[in-house]
Amino acid sequence: MDTLQMLSFGNTGWGLALLKAIGMTLLLTVVSLLVGAVFGSLVAAAKLSRQPGLRWLGDSYLVLFRGVPELLVIYLFYFGGATVVSAVGHWFGATGYIGMPPFLVGALAVGLLSGSYQAEVYRGAFMAVPRGELEAALAIGMGKFMRFKRVLIPQVMRYALPGLGNVWQMTLKDSALISVIGLVELMRASLMAAGSTRQYFAFYIIGGIGYLLLTGLSGRIFNIAEARVQRTQRRSPLQH
Amino acid sequence: MIDFAFLLDTLLKLLSALPTTLTLFFSSLSLGLLLSFAIVGMRVSRCPLLSYPARCYIMIFRGTPLIIQMYLIYYGLGQFPVVRDSFAWVVLRSPYGCAVVSLALCTAGYTAEIIRGGLLSIPYGQIEAGQAIGMSRLALLRRIIAPVTLRQVLPAYSTEAILMLKATALASLITVWDVTGIAQQIIQRTYRTMEVFACAAFIYLVLNYIIVRAMRWLEHRLTPHLRERPVHTPTKAKLDAGSNPKSLRSSL
Amino acid sequence: MNTQPKAALSVSNIQKSYGQAHVLKGISLNAHKGDVVSILGASGSGKSTFLRCINLLETPDEGSISLNGETIEMKRLRDGRQVPSNTRQVEQIRSRLGMVFQSFNLWSHRSVIENVIEGPMRVLKRSRAECVEEAEQLLQKVGLYDRRDYYPAHLSGGQQQRVAIARALAMNPQVMLFDEPTSALDPELVGEVLKVMRGLAEEGRTMLVVTHEMGFARHVSNRVVFMQDGHIDAQGTPAELFEGLPTERFRQFVASHQLRSAE
Repeated sequence: MDTLQMLSFGNTGWGLALLKAIGMTLLLTVVSLLVGAVFGSLVAAAKLSRQPGLRWLGDSYLVLFRGVPELLVIYLFYFGGATVVSAVGHWFGATGYIGMPPFLVGALAVGLLSGSYQAEVYRGAFMAVPRGELEAALAIGMGKFMRFKRVLIPQVMRYALPGLGNVWQMTLKDSALISVIGLVELMRASLMAAGSTRQYFAFYIIGGIGYLLLTGLSGRIFNIAEARVQRTQRRSPLQH
Repeated sequence: MIDFAFLLDTLLKLLSALPTTLTLFFSSLSLGLLLSFAIVGMRVSRCPLLSYPARCYIMIFRGTPLIIQMYLIYYGLGQFPVVRDSFAWVVLRSPYGCAVVSLALCTAGYTAEIIRGGLLSIPYGQIEAGQAIGMSRLALLRRIIAPVTLRQVLPAYSTEAILMLKATALASLITVWDVTGIAQQIIQRTYRTMEVFACAAFIYLVLNYIIVRAMRWLEHRLTPHLRERPVHTPTKAKLDAGSNPKSLRSSL
Repeated sequence: MNTQPKAALSVSNIQKSYGQAHVLKGISLNAHKGDVVSILGASGSGKSTFLRCINLLETPDEGSISLNGETIEMKRLRDGRQVPSNTRQVEQIRSRLGMVFQSFNLWSHRSVIENVIEGPMRVLKRSRAECVEEAEQLLQKVGLYDRRDYYPAHLSGGQQQRVAIARALAMNPQVMLFDEPTSALDPELVGEVLKVMRGLAEEGRTMLVVTHEMGFARHVSNRVVFMQDGHIDAQGTPAELFEGLPTERFRQFVASHQLRSAE
């Protein structure tokens, strides 16, 4: 039982390393999703804006980040970021090449990609909110901020939930690409384990199963959340 | 400020890898499409022995990152002497072959779900109308189910095609020198990230644009029934009469 | 020519259940050549299911169907239900039964003329030129010749239903089945469809019409069948039914419909 031994949690096994790596994958995905939420909502707002300039900016963001291979975006931040950081470092007297921390690069690159998916989700959700509900808020004298916070945001989040479930899955899979710049997440850990034990097949399968578990479980969680939201959405005021 | 000579030089170098990217794209997309027909056929079957494996296939290939699938096929399979001795080794020994196989396998899973969605959205009454005039199962499939599904799935498939184009970049990780691979090489040699990125992005965006346009054109050709109502002038209707149905048929 | 009145369509003891619900409890019906039979009944009385059983869009659990003396072959499954044993025969019988649906069911990806020629060309394997010529005559008959190159989405409901009737006629069916052909139409569009149907009745077409149009049942058909809870409650000539009001249920049904049309 070679493989079992290699998977053990002891000094010789890869079990603990893989478990940690799963944690890293989750952390990276969550942070990227948050970064993406910021950029995504900004871009959605830009695209919905009345200013042609802003709309153009939003469009460009989407065309770029949805059209260019993810790998290129990661290289841009990894190598480009390092160049910028090194240059700044030289001003302050540092010498040589200063790299960017891979986690930061990953969160930025995957986050911006995630933002391009999220922008469309938010925009669609915003368009789906019945205009009448906003008018109703206006009619009872809610201010702009209040309307935004009490009516618009909760409704948008409801309509956005199914789309966000998809974005989460895509972001989770995109996070595996950060392995190419050396962040030890699940993909990288599988590569390392495979390389050092020469059991390529076994460890890629194990890594794959790890991803399947993550996508499967999170998919289920999103389904439950969606069912919840649907329930509150369908309930009529007469049912209380 | 802008170093045009460098940009031009980079662009030319990247363009030399364009054929690799394009052949990767077309071969894996067409293979994946063929495979997806088989998978969706199994998936919608009433027999669990057929539908269950198809379900698993779709879940596995959509639930894991493409990068791990590619590594598994390239590094993982070569580990077994059985594979190395089999006829499949002709394909699997080369990085290019592995890239095509893994891209095709992956897109087949996504495409199968897209087609299934299209199948489920066919208004059932239109199938019943075919049954009611005595169409055979094959005729129903050929004359109603297939054309309606094709029209339904085109927008989603267009998105999938673009995702595939982007996914071909992963082949560079298993040493296929496509546009992204060359770009990475130049970046590492020159550290002029922005310029190289701009050139590579430009190439991919142009390709995207061509794909989107081609798909839109196809969609436009195939969906005259969704366009605006024709201006009602009987003489014009007569003029169109001969050409319109025929051109539609030939495009199917 | 047939001298003795042989039934064009003969249906006997049709039964159908969905789970616990016994929707059809043994319906028998004969239609002779040239008969126009109106099938009335409240919604849920099983009249549409019955019509759909005739061309096997629904498979009856029990009973037999024959068209001009040819009986549809059925075989029995182990669980007691029956299914058609000869798909070719079913397809062939269907091609001789014209069906007009409540929701038109025109093929949205084909133009008006393509909808009409599809059946004769693909099922009856006739030449295109011949089909087009005949289709044009049929479209003229339903008053839509000038819309021949339109797509269904560009037509009103009444126009779509008239195309659907032309599509059914193009198969030159021996019996026409109408499944509530005017129920999905706006009131002002009902008339144009009924007019076409009346024309067909006057031509001597054999028709089975599931409908809510009391006027049609009373003045156009020569037989009326009233269905209730999955069986036939009353049947006879329009005069026998509408003047005789043979059953309490039918009396109530007529009264409620007169109320509705008076509104």
